[in-house]
Amino acid sequence: MAMTDTSATSAVTSPPRRTFRLERSTTVSILAVAAFLILWEIAPSMGWVNGRFTSQPSLVVLAALDVFRSDNFLFHAQISLTEFVLGFALALVISVPLGVVLGTSKTARYLIDPPLMALYIAPTLVLLPILVIWLGIGMASKVAVVFLGALFPIVVNTMAGMREADAKLIRAARSFGASKLDVFVRILVPGSLPSILTGIRLAIGRAVLGVVVGELFVSQAGIGHQLDTYGSAMRIDRLLVYAFVVSIFGYALTLSVRLLEARIRTWRPE
Amino acid sequence: MNMIEFYHRRQAIILGFVSFATIVITWQLVVDFGLVNAFFISTPGAVWKELFVQAGDGSLLKNTLATLYGFALALGMAVVVGVGLGMVAGWFRDVEAALDPFIWFKYSTPTVAFYPLFVAWLGYGLPTIVAISFLFALTPIYANTLSGIKNVDRDLKRAATSFGATPLDIFLRIALPGSIPVIVAGLRLGVGRALTGVVVAELFGANAGLGYAIAFYAQKLQTTRMMIPIVAVVLIGVLLTQILSYIEQRSDVWRVSHDD
Repeated sequence: MAMTDTSATSAVTSPPRRTFRLERSTTVSILAVAAFLILWEIAPSMGWVNGRFTSQPSLVVLAALDVFRSDNFLFHAQISLTEFVLGFALALVISVPLGVVLGTSKTARYLIDPPLMALYIAPTLVLLPILVIWLGIGMASKVAVVFLGALFPIVVNTMAGMREADAKLIRAARSFGASKLDVFVRILVPGSLPSILTGIRLAIGRAVLGVVVGELFVSQAGIGHQLDTYGSAMRIDRLLVYAFVVSIFGYALTLSVRLLEARIRTWRPE
Repeated sequence: MNMIEFYHRRQAIILGFVSFATIVITWQLVVDFGLVNAFFISTPGAVWKELFVQAGDGSLLKNTLATLYGFALALGMAVVVGVGLGMVAGWFRDVEAALDPFIWFKYSTPTVAFYPLFVAWLGYGLPTIVAISFLFALTPIYANTLSGIKNVDRDLKRAATSFGATPLDIFLRIALPGSIPVIVAGLRLGVGRALTGVVVAELFGANAGLGYAIAFYAQKLQTTRMMIPIVAVVLIGVLLTQILSYIEQRSDVWRVSHDD
Protein backbone atom coordinates (compact mmCIF):
# COMPACT_ATOMS: atom_id res chain seq x y z
CA MET A 1 0.00 0.00 0.00
CA ALA A 2 2.74 2.39 0.96
CA MET A 3 4.55 1.56 -2.26
CA THR A 4 1.63 2.43 -4.52
CA ASP A 5 1.03 5.58 -2.49
CA THR A 6 4.48 7.06 -3.03
CA SER A 7 4.59 6.20 -6.71
CA ALA A 8 1.16 7.74 -7.23
CA THR A 9 2.07 11.02 -5.55
CA SER A 10 5.35 11.37 -7.38
CA ALA A 11 3.59 10.63 -10.68
CA VAL A 12 1.03 13.32 -9.95
CA THR A 13 3.27 16.04 -8.57
CA SER A 14 6.41 15.78 -10.64
CA PRO A 15 5.18 16.60 -14.18
CA PRO A 16 3.73 20.08 -13.48
CA ARG A 17 6.71 21.05 -11.32
CA ARG A 18 8.99 19.85 -14.05
CA THR A 19 7.39 21.92 -16.81
CA PHE A 20 7.53 24.98 -14.57
CA ARG A 21 11.22 24.43 -13.93
CA LEU A 22 11.82 23.80 -17.60
CA GLU A 23 10.52 27.24 -18.47
CA ARG A 24 12.77 29.02 -16.03
CA SER A 25 15.77 26.91 -16.92
CA THR A 26 15.13 27.46 -20.63
CA THR A 27 15.27 31.22 -20.12
CA VAL A 28 18.52 30.91 -18.19
CA SER A 29 19.96 28.63 -20.87
CA ILE A 30 19.08 31.03 -23.66
CA LEU A 31 20.53 33.96 -21.71
CA ALA A 32 23.77 32.05 -21.11
CA VAL A 33 24.16 31.19 -24.79
CA ALA A 34 23.33 34.77 -25.79
CA ALA A 35 25.89 36.13 -23.34
CA PHE A 36 28.50 33.77 -24.70
CA LEU A 37 27.80 34.75 -28.31
CA ILE A 38 27.87 38.46 -27.51
CA LEU A 39 31.14 38.12 -25.61
CA TRP A 40 32.60 36.12 -28.48
CA GLU A 41 31.46 38.77 -30.96
CA ILE A 42 32.79 41.82 -29.14
CA ALA A 43 35.96 40.38 -27.56
CA PRO A 44 38.02 40.44 -30.81
CA SER A 45 36.61 43.86 -31.80
CA MET A 46 37.59 45.31 -28.43
CA GLY A 47 41.05 43.84 -28.79
CA TRP A 48 40.72 41.53 -25.75
CA VAL A 49 41.67 38.54 -27.84
CA ASN A 50 43.21 38.10 -31.25
CA GLY A 51 40.35 37.61 -33.72
CA ARG A 52 42.60 35.53 -35.94
CA PHE A 53 42.49 32.78 -33.33
CA THR A 54 38.86 33.01 -32.24
CA SER A 55 36.93 34.32 -35.24
CA GLN A 56 33.49 35.83 -34.49
CA PRO A 57 29.92 34.49 -34.64
CA SER A 58 29.04 36.88 -37.47
CA LEU A 59 32.06 35.72 -39.48
CA VAL A 60 31.15 32.09 -38.83
CA VAL A 61 27.64 32.69 -40.16
CA LEU A 62 29.06 34.31 -43.29
CA ALA A 63 31.52 31.44 -43.67
CA ALA A 64 28.64 28.97 -43.29
CA LEU A 65 26.80 30.59 -46.21
CA ASP A 66 30.01 30.41 -48.21
CA VAL A 67 30.67 26.79 -47.34
CA PHE A 68 27.16 25.60 -48.09
CA ARG A 69 27.02 27.45 -51.40
CA SER A 70 30.41 26.47 -52.73
CA ASP A 71 33.32 24.48 -51.24
CA ASN A 72 31.90 21.11 -52.34
CA PHE A 73 30.19 20.79 -48.99
CA LEU A 74 27.76 18.11 -50.13
CA PHE A 75 30.57 16.04 -51.62
CA HIS A 76 32.53 15.98 -48.35
CA ALA A 77 29.44 15.48 -46.22
CA GLN A 78 28.39 12.57 -48.38
CA ILE A 79 31.74 10.85 -47.98
CA SER A 80 31.73 11.20 -44.21
CA LEU A 81 28.11 10.13 -44.01
CA THR A 82 28.75 7.04 -46.12
CA GLU A 83 31.63 6.03 -43.87
CA PHE A 84 29.45 6.54 -40.82
CA VAL A 85 26.45 4.64 -42.17
CA LEU A 86 28.44 1.69 -43.52
CA GLY A 87 30.49 1.27 -40.34
CA PHE A 88 27.50 1.68 -38.08
CA ALA A 89 25.27 -0.68 -40.03
CA LEU A 90 28.00 -3.31 -40.01
CA ALA A 91 28.43 -2.85 -36.26
CA LEU A 92 24.67 -3.20 -35.66
CA VAL A 93 24.42 -6.37 -37.72
CA ILE A 94 27.22 -8.02 -35.78
CA SER A 95 26.94 -6.55 -32.31
CA VAL A 96 23.29 -7.24 -31.49
CA PRO A 97 23.40 -10.99 -32.26
CA LEU A 98 26.77 -11.24 -30.52
CA GLY A 99 25.37 -9.46 -27.48
CA VAL A 100 22.39 -11.82 -27.46
CA VAL A 101 24.66 -14.88 -27.53
CA LEU A 102 26.88 -13.47 -24.79
CA GLY A 103 23.89 -12.49 -22.70
CA THR A 104 22.27 -15.90 -22.85
CA SER A 105 25.24 -18.28 -22.81
CA LYS A 106 27.52 -18.31 -19.82
CA THR A 107 30.33 -20.22 -21.54
CA ALA A 108 30.36 -17.81 -24.47
CA ARG A 109 30.47 -14.92 -22.03
CA TYR A 110 33.42 -16.31 -20.08
CA LEU A 111 35.26 -16.99 -23.33
CA ILE A 112 34.69 -13.68 -25.06
CA ASP A 113 34.18 -11.26 -22.21
CA PRO A 114 37.85 -10.60 -21.28
CA PRO A 115 39.09 -9.56 -24.73
CA LEU A 116 35.77 -7.82 -25.36
CA MET A 117 36.05 -5.77 -22.16
CA ALA A 118 39.69 -4.96 -22.90
CA LEU A 119 38.63 -3.51 -26.26
CA TYR A 120 35.56 -1.81 -24.80
CA ILE A 121 37.64 -0.04 -22.17
CA ALA A 122 40.71 0.67 -24.26
CA PRO A 123 40.55 3.39 -26.87
CA THR A 124 39.86 1.51 -30.12
CA LEU A 125 41.17 4.57 -31.91
CA VAL A 126 44.74 3.39 -31.19
CA LEU A 127 44.08 0.80 -33.88
CA LEU A 128 43.56 3.55 -36.46
CA PRO A 129 47.17 3.61 -37.77
CA ILE A 130 47.25 -0.15 -38.23
CA LEU A 131 43.84 -0.08 -39.92
CA VAL A 132 45.25 2.46 -42.34
CA ILE A 133 48.13 0.08 -43.11
CA TRP A 134 45.66 -2.74 -43.69
CA LEU A 135 42.95 -0.89 -45.60
CA GLY A 136 44.61 2.14 -47.09
CA ILE A 137 43.93 5.85 -46.65
CA GLY A 138 40.53 5.72 -48.38
CA MET A 139 37.07 5.19 -46.96
CA ALA A 140 37.62 1.57 -45.92
CA SER A 141 39.85 2.42 -42.96
CA LYS A 142 37.30 4.96 -41.66
CA VAL A 143 34.47 2.46 -42.03
CA ALA A 144 36.56 0.05 -39.96
CA VAL A 145 37.23 2.66 -37.26
CA VAL A 146 33.53 3.52 -37.06
CA PHE A 147 32.70 -0.17 -36.92
CA LEU A 148 35.13 -0.82 -34.06
CA GLY A 149 34.00 2.27 -32.18
CA ALA A 150 30.31 1.40 -32.45
CA LEU A 151 30.63 -2.35 -31.96
CA PHE A 152 31.59 -2.64 -28.29
CA PRO A 153 29.07 -0.31 -26.63
CA ILE A 154 26.22 -2.12 -28.41
CA VAL A 155 27.56 -5.61 -27.59
CA VAL A 156 28.11 -4.74 -23.94
CA ASN A 157 24.70 -3.13 -23.49
CA THR A 158 22.81 -5.84 -25.38
CA MET A 159 24.54 -8.40 -23.19
CA ALA A 160 23.62 -6.47 -20.06
CA GLY A 161 20.02 -6.09 -21.21
CA MET A 162 19.69 -9.83 -21.80
CA ARG A 163 21.20 -10.63 -18.42
CA GLU A 164 19.09 -8.16 -16.49
CA ALA A 165 15.85 -9.76 -17.69
CA ASP A 166 13.29 -10.11 -14.93
CA ALA A 167 13.80 -13.61 -13.50
CA LYS A 168 10.27 -13.64 -12.08
CA LEU A 169 8.76 -13.03 -15.49
CA ILE A 170 10.82 -15.83 -17.00
CA ARG A 171 9.84 -18.23 -14.22
CA ALA A 172 6.18 -17.28 -14.58
CA ALA A 173 6.30 -17.77 -18.36
CA ARG A 174 8.04 -21.11 -17.96
CA SER A 175 5.48 -22.39 -15.51
CA PHE A 176 2.76 -21.46 -17.98
CA GLY A 177 4.50 -23.61 -20.56
CA ALA A 178 6.48 -21.06 -22.55
CA SER A 179 9.24 -22.51 -24.71
CA LYS A 180 12.76 -21.10 -24.79
CA LEU A 181 11.92 -19.27 -27.99
CA ASP A 182 8.80 -17.78 -26.40
CA VAL A 183 10.81 -16.54 -23.46
CA PHE A 184 13.36 -15.04 -25.83
CA VAL A 185 10.89 -13.32 -28.12
CA ARG A 186 8.35 -12.21 -25.52
CA ILE A 187 10.53 -11.40 -22.53
CA LEU A 188 14.21 -11.08 -23.34
CA VAL A 189 13.89 -9.03 -26.54
CA PRO A 190 11.37 -6.44 -25.32
CA GLY A 191 13.05 -6.37 -21.91
CA SER A 192 16.47 -5.60 -23.32
CA LEU A 193 15.33 -3.08 -25.94
CA PRO A 194 15.94 0.01 -23.75
CA SER A 195 19.39 -1.26 -22.91
CA ILE A 196 20.18 -1.94 -26.58
CA LEU A 197 19.07 1.59 -27.43
CA THR A 198 21.35 2.96 -24.72
CA GLY A 199 24.18 1.04 -26.36
CA ILE A 200 23.26 2.48 -29.75
CA ARG A 201 23.19 5.99 -28.30
CA LEU A 202 26.67 5.58 -26.81
CA ALA A 203 27.85 4.01 -30.06
CA ILE A 204 26.72 7.04 -32.09
CA GLY A 205 29.10 9.26 -30.16
CA ARG A 206 32.00 6.90 -30.65
CA ALA A 207 31.17 6.41 -34.33
CA VAL A 208 31.06 10.14 -35.06
CA LEU A 209 34.34 10.49 -33.20
CA GLY A 210 35.75 7.66 -35.32
CA VAL A 211 34.84 9.35 -38.61
CA VAL A 212 36.36 12.66 -37.55
CA VAL A 213 39.54 11.21 -36.05
CA GLY A 214 39.98 8.84 -38.98
CA GLU A 215 39.66 11.65 -41.51
CA LEU A 216 41.83 14.03 -39.53
CA PHE A 217 44.53 11.38 -39.28
CA VAL A 218 44.75 10.76 -42.99
CA SER A 219 42.21 11.24 -45.79
CA GLN A 220 41.62 12.73 -49.20
CA ALA A 221 38.10 13.99 -48.63
CA GLY A 222 35.36 14.27 -46.03
CA ILE A 223 34.42 16.61 -43.20
CA GLY A 224 37.51 15.69 -41.19
CA HIS A 225 39.69 16.39 -44.20
CA GLN A 226 38.15 19.86 -44.48
CA LEU A 227 38.70 20.44 -40.75
CA ASP A 228 42.35 19.63 -41.23
CA THR A 229 42.64 21.81 -44.34
CA TYR A 230 41.11 24.89 -42.73
CA GLY A 231 42.93 24.26 -39.46
CA SER A 232 46.30 24.33 -41.19
CA ALA A 233 45.24 27.38 -43.19
CA MET A 234 44.09 29.15 -39.98
CA ARG A 235 40.63 29.68 -41.45
CA ILE A 236 39.00 29.44 -38.03
CA ASP A 237 35.60 30.59 -39.34
CA ARG A 238 35.35 27.77 -41.87
CA LEU A 239 36.85 25.29 -39.43
CA LEU A 240 34.07 26.13 -36.97
CA VAL A 241 31.40 25.72 -39.65
CA TYR A 242 32.53 22.15 -40.28
CA ALA A 243 32.88 21.45 -36.56
CA PHE A 244 29.33 22.70 -35.99
CA VAL A 245 28.04 20.49 -38.79
CA VAL A 246 29.51 17.50 -36.96
CA SER A 247 27.99 18.70 -33.68
CA ILE A 248 24.54 19.12 -35.14
CA PHE A 249 24.71 15.71 -36.78
CA GLY A 250 25.77 14.01 -33.55
CA TYR A 251 23.26 15.97 -31.51
CA ALA A 252 20.33 15.21 -33.83
CA LEU A 253 21.09 11.49 -33.92
CA THR A 254 21.64 11.19 -30.18
CA LEU A 255 18.48 13.14 -29.49
CA SER A 256 16.35 10.93 -31.74
CA VAL A 257 17.63 7.80 -30.02
CA ARG A 258 16.94 9.42 -26.65
CA LEU A 259 13.35 10.15 -27.72
CA LEU A 260 12.96 6.58 -28.90
CA GLU A 261 14.33 5.37 -25.56
CA ALA A 262 11.85 7.55 -23.69
CA ARG A 263 8.97 6.26 -25.79
CA ILE A 264 9.96 2.65 -25.18
CA ARG A 265 10.42 3.26 -21.47
CA THR A 266 6.87 4.60 -21.11
CA TRP A 267 5.26 1.19 -21.34
CA ARG A 268 7.65 -0.13 -18.75
CA PRO A 269 6.83 0.50 -15.14
CA GLU A 270 9.56 1.88 -12.83
CA MET B 1 26.86 -22.86 -2.36
CA ASN B 2 30.30 -21.46 -1.69
CA MET B 3 31.94 -24.28 -3.58
CA ILE B 4 29.81 -23.57 -6.64
CA GLU B 5 30.60 -19.88 -6.44
CA PHE B 6 34.29 -20.69 -6.18
CA TYR B 7 34.11 -23.03 -9.14
CA HIS B 8 32.36 -20.41 -11.24
CA ARG B 9 35.01 -17.86 -10.42
CA ARG B 10 37.68 -20.34 -11.48
CA GLN B 11 35.74 -21.12 -14.64
CA ALA B 12 35.71 -17.46 -15.64
CA ILE B 13 39.49 -17.22 -15.17
CA ILE B 14 40.20 -20.47 -17.02
CA LEU B 15 37.96 -19.63 -19.96
CA GLY B 16 39.31 -16.08 -20.10
CA PHE B 17 42.82 -17.45 -20.25
CA VAL B 18 41.81 -19.96 -22.95
CA SER B 19 40.33 -17.09 -24.91
CA PHE B 20 43.54 -15.02 -24.90
CA ALA B 21 45.67 -18.09 -25.62
CA THR B 22 43.46 -18.92 -28.60
CA ILE B 23 43.85 -15.41 -29.97
CA VAL B 24 47.66 -15.55 -29.67
CA ILE B 25 47.94 -19.06 -31.15
CA THR B 26 45.59 -18.24 -34.04
CA TRP B 27 47.57 -15.08 -34.70
CA GLN B 28 50.82 -17.08 -34.93
CA LEU B 29 49.26 -19.87 -37.01
CA VAL B 30 47.63 -17.68 -39.69
CA VAL B 31 51.06 -16.22 -40.37
CA ASP B 32 52.89 -19.56 -40.20
CA PHE B 33 50.49 -21.14 -42.66
CA GLY B 34 50.80 -18.17 -44.98
CA LEU B 35 47.17 -17.10 -44.69
CA VAL B 36 48.10 -13.54 -43.78
CA ASN B 37 51.34 -11.75 -44.55
CA ALA B 38 53.38 -11.05 -41.41
CA PHE B 39 53.96 -7.54 -42.77
CA PHE B 40 50.35 -6.68 -41.91
CA ILE B 41 49.83 -8.27 -38.53
CA SER B 42 53.32 -9.25 -37.35
CA THR B 43 53.52 -12.36 -35.16
CA PRO B 44 53.30 -12.92 -31.40
CA GLY B 45 56.87 -14.25 -31.44
CA ALA B 46 58.24 -11.16 -33.16
CA VAL B 47 56.25 -8.86 -30.89
CA TRP B 48 57.57 -10.71 -27.83
CA LYS B 49 61.16 -10.16 -29.02
CA GLU B 50 60.41 -6.54 -29.85
CA LEU B 51 59.09 -6.05 -26.34
CA PHE B 52 62.57 -6.69 -24.94
CA VAL B 53 64.12 -4.35 -27.50
CA GLN B 54 61.78 -1.47 -26.62
CA ALA B 55 61.98 -2.20 -22.92
CA GLY B 56 65.78 -2.45 -23.16
CA ASP B 57 66.46 0.80 -24.98
CA GLY B 58 64.08 2.65 -22.68
CA SER B 59 61.72 3.84 -25.43
CA LEU B 60 58.77 1.92 -23.98
CA LEU B 61 59.28 3.48 -20.56
CA LYS B 62 59.84 6.93 -22.01
CA ASN B 63 56.68 6.81 -24.12
CA THR B 64 54.59 5.34 -21.32
CA LEU B 65 55.74 8.02 -18.90
CA ALA B 66 55.07 10.77 -21.44
CA THR B 67 51.53 9.47 -21.99
CA LEU B 68 50.88 9.06 -18.28
CA TYR B 69 52.19 12.56 -17.60
CA GLY B 70 49.78 14.13 -20.09
CA PHE B 71 47.04 11.86 -18.80
CA ALA B 72 47.63 12.83 -15.17
CA LEU B 73 47.67 16.56 -15.93
CA ALA B 74 44.47 16.34 -17.98
CA LEU B 75 42.64 14.11 -15.53
CA GLY B 76 43.69 16.27 -12.58
CA MET B 77 42.32 19.39 -14.27
CA ALA B 78 39.17 17.57 -15.34
CA VAL B 79 38.55 16.35 -11.79
CA VAL B 80 39.02 19.81 -10.26
CA VAL B 81 36.90 21.58 -12.87
CA GLY B 82 34.34 18.80 -13.38
CA VAL B 83 33.68 18.07 -9.72
CA GLY B 84 33.75 21.78 -8.84
CA LEU B 85 31.33 22.81 -11.59
CA GLY B 86 29.20 19.73 -10.99
CA MET B 87 28.78 20.59 -7.31
CA VAL B 88 27.88 24.21 -8.00
CA ALA B 89 25.50 23.25 -10.82
CA GLY B 90 23.99 20.44 -8.75
CA TRP B 91 23.25 22.82 -5.90
CA PHE B 92 22.11 25.92 -7.83
CA ARG B 93 19.51 25.16 -10.50
CA ASP B 94 20.24 28.35 -12.44
CA VAL B 95 23.91 27.47 -12.80
CA GLU B 96 22.90 24.09 -14.13
CA ALA B 97 20.55 25.69 -16.63
CA ALA B 98 23.22 28.17 -17.72
CA LEU B 99 25.81 25.44 -18.27
CA ASP B 100 23.37 23.00 -19.84
CA PRO B 101 23.57 24.15 -23.49
CA PHE B 102 27.36 24.09 -23.42
CA ILE B 103 27.47 20.65 -21.87
CA TRP B 104 25.00 19.40 -24.46
CA PHE B 105 27.15 20.87 -27.15
CA LYS B 106 30.19 19.14 -25.72
CA TYR B 107 28.30 15.85 -25.46
CA SER B 108 27.38 15.82 -29.12
CA THR B 109 30.59 17.26 -30.56
CA PRO B 110 33.64 15.10 -30.95
CA THR B 111 36.22 17.29 -29.21
CA VAL B 112 38.76 16.20 -31.79
CA ALA B 113 36.91 18.25 -34.42
CA PHE B 114 38.45 21.26 -32.67
CA TYR B 115 41.91 19.76 -32.69
CA PRO B 116 43.22 22.12 -35.41
CA LEU B 117 41.85 25.02 -33.37
CA PHE B 118 43.80 23.93 -30.29
CA VAL B 119 46.93 23.57 -32.36
CA ALA B 120 46.40 27.14 -33.57
CA TRP B 121 45.95 28.34 -29.99
CA LEU B 122 48.46 26.24 -28.09
CA GLY B 123 50.84 24.83 -30.68
CA TYR B 124 51.78 21.23 -31.25
CA GLY B 125 52.69 19.11 -28.26
CA LEU B 126 51.82 18.78 -24.61
CA PRO B 127 49.46 21.78 -24.09
CA THR B 128 47.21 20.70 -26.96
CA ILE B 129 47.30 17.07 -25.84
CA VAL B 130 46.35 18.01 -22.29
CA ALA B 131 43.58 20.33 -23.51
CA ILE B 132 42.00 17.67 -25.74
CA SER B 133 42.25 15.03 -23.06
CA PHE B 134 40.85 17.41 -20.43
CA LEU B 135 37.79 18.09 -22.57
CA PHE B 136 37.36 14.36 -23.23
CA ALA B 137 37.32 13.56 -19.53
CA LEU B 138 35.37 16.58 -18.32
CA THR B 139 31.84 15.63 -19.41
CA PRO B 140 31.28 12.35 -17.53
CA ILE B 141 32.90 13.73 -14.37
CA TYR B 142 30.76 16.85 -14.46
CA ALA B 143 27.56 14.99 -15.38
CA ASN B 144 27.94 12.42 -12.62
CA THR B 145 28.81 14.96 -9.93
CA LEU B 146 25.80 17.00 -11.00
CA SER B 147 23.38 14.10 -10.81
CA GLY B 148 24.88 12.89 -7.53
CA ILE B 149 24.38 16.23 -5.79
CA LYS B 150 21.00 16.81 -7.43
CA ASN B 151 19.50 13.44 -6.55
CA VAL B 152 20.14 13.76 -2.86
CA ASP B 153 17.83 11.65 -0.70
CA ARG B 154 14.78 13.84 -0.07
CA ASP B 155 13.78 12.13 3.16
CA LEU B 156 17.23 12.63 4.61
CA LYS B 157 17.17 16.25 3.57
CA ARG B 158 13.76 16.83 5.12
CA ALA B 159 14.76 15.06 8.31
CA ALA B 160 17.95 17.15 8.57
CA THR B 161 16.06 20.37 7.89
CA SER B 162 13.50 19.67 10.58
CA PHE B 163 16.35 19.13 13.04
CA GLY B 164 17.66 22.57 12.17
CA ALA B 165 20.34 21.83 9.57
CA THR B 166 21.46 24.76 7.42
CA PRO B 167 21.80 24.36 3.65
CA LEU B 168 25.58 24.19 4.12
CA ASP B 169 25.14 21.34 6.62
CA ILE B 170 22.93 19.50 4.16
CA PHE B 171 25.44 19.98 1.39
CA LEU B 172 28.42 18.82 3.44
CA ARG B 173 26.75 16.08 5.47
CA ILE B 174 24.16 14.64 3.08
CA ALA B 175 24.60 15.67 -0.55
CA LEU B 176 28.36 15.28 -0.68
CA PRO B 177 28.81 11.91 1.04
CA GLY B 178 25.69 10.59 -0.68
CA SER B 179 27.02 11.39 -4.11
CA ILE B 180 30.54 10.03 -3.73
CA PRO B 181 29.80 6.65 -5.38
CA VAL B 182 28.25 8.42 -8.38
CA ILE B 183 31.19 10.80 -8.58
CA VAL B 184 33.64 7.89 -8.47
CA ALA B 185 31.66 6.20 -11.27
CA GLY B 186 32.08 9.41 -13.27
CA LEU B 187 35.81 9.31 -12.53
CA ARG B 188 36.00 5.77 -13.90
CA LEU B 189 34.40 6.92 -17.15
CA GLY B 190 36.61 10.00 -17.15
CA VAL B 191 39.78 7.95 -16.75
CA GLY B 192 38.99 5.95 -19.89
CA ARG B 193 38.13 9.03 -21.87
CA ALA B 194 41.17 10.98 -20.67
CA LEU B 195 43.38 8.14 -21.86
CA THR B 196 41.61 8.11 -25.24
CA GLY B 197 42.08 11.86 -25.47
CA VAL B 198 45.80 11.75 -24.71
CA VAL B 199 46.51 8.91 -27.11
CA VAL B 200 44.40 10.33 -29.95
CA ALA B 201 46.00 13.76 -29.59
CA GLU B 202 49.41 12.09 -29.54
CA LEU B 203 48.58 10.30 -32.79
CA PHE B 204 48.28 13.68 -34.49
CA GLY B 205 51.25 15.54 -33.15
CA ALA B 206 53.71 14.91 -30.34
CA ASN B 207 57.34 14.08 -29.87
CA ALA B 208 56.89 11.37 -27.25
CA GLY B 209 54.13 9.16 -25.91
CA LEU B 210 52.48 5.89 -26.80
CA GLY B 211 50.13 7.46 -29.35
CA TYR B 212 53.10 9.18 -30.94
CA ALA B 213 55.00 5.87 -31.07
CA ILE B 214 52.04 4.15 -32.75
CA ALA B 215 51.76 6.84 -35.41
CA PHE B 216 55.55 6.99 -35.85
CA TYR B 217 55.96 3.25 -36.44
CA ALA B 218 52.85 3.26 -38.63
CA GLN B 219 54.41 5.82 -40.93
CA LYS B 220 57.42 3.55 -41.29
CA LEU B 221 55.07 0.55 -41.80
CA GLN B 222 56.70 -1.32 -38.90
CA THR B 223 53.76 -3.34 -37.60
CA THR B 224 55.80 -5.36 -35.10
CA ARG B 225 57.07 -2.24 -33.38
CA MET B 226 53.56 -0.70 -33.43
CA MET B 227 52.10 -3.60 -31.50
CA ILE B 228 54.08 -2.77 -28.34
CA PRO B 229 52.59 0.69 -27.74
CA ILE B 230 49.13 -0.55 -28.84
CA VAL B 231 49.18 -3.34 -26.27
CA ALA B 232 50.59 -0.93 -23.68
CA VAL B 233 47.67 1.47 -24.19
CA VAL B 234 45.13 -1.35 -23.91
CA LEU B 235 46.79 -2.64 -20.72
CA ILE B 236 46.95 0.82 -19.14
CA GLY B 237 43.28 1.36 -19.96
CA VAL B 238 42.22 -1.93 -18.42
CA LEU B 239 44.42 -1.48 -15.37
CA LEU B 240 43.25 2.07 -14.60
CA THR B 241 39.60 1.15 -15.05
CA GLN B 242 39.98 -1.88 -12.79
CA ILE B 243 41.54 0.28 -10.07
CA LEU B 244 38.69 2.76 -10.32
CA SER B 245 36.07 -0.03 -10.28
CA TYR B 246 37.67 -1.31 -7.07
CA ILE B 247 37.58 2.15 -5.50
CA GLU B 248 33.99 2.49 -6.68
CA GLN B 249 32.97 -0.67 -4.85
CA ARG B 250 34.84 0.37 -1.73
CA SER B 251 33.27 3.83 -1.72
CA ASP B 252 29.85 2.26 -1.50
CA VAL B 253 30.37 -0.39 1.19
CA TRP B 254 29.11 1.72 4.09
CA ARG B 255 25.77 2.24 2.37
CA VAL B 256 22.88 0.16 3.62
CA SER B 257 20.85 -1.27 0.79
CA HIS B 258 17.36 0.22 0.57
CA ASP B 259 15.63 -2.36 -1.57
CA ASP B 260 14.23 -5.51 0.03
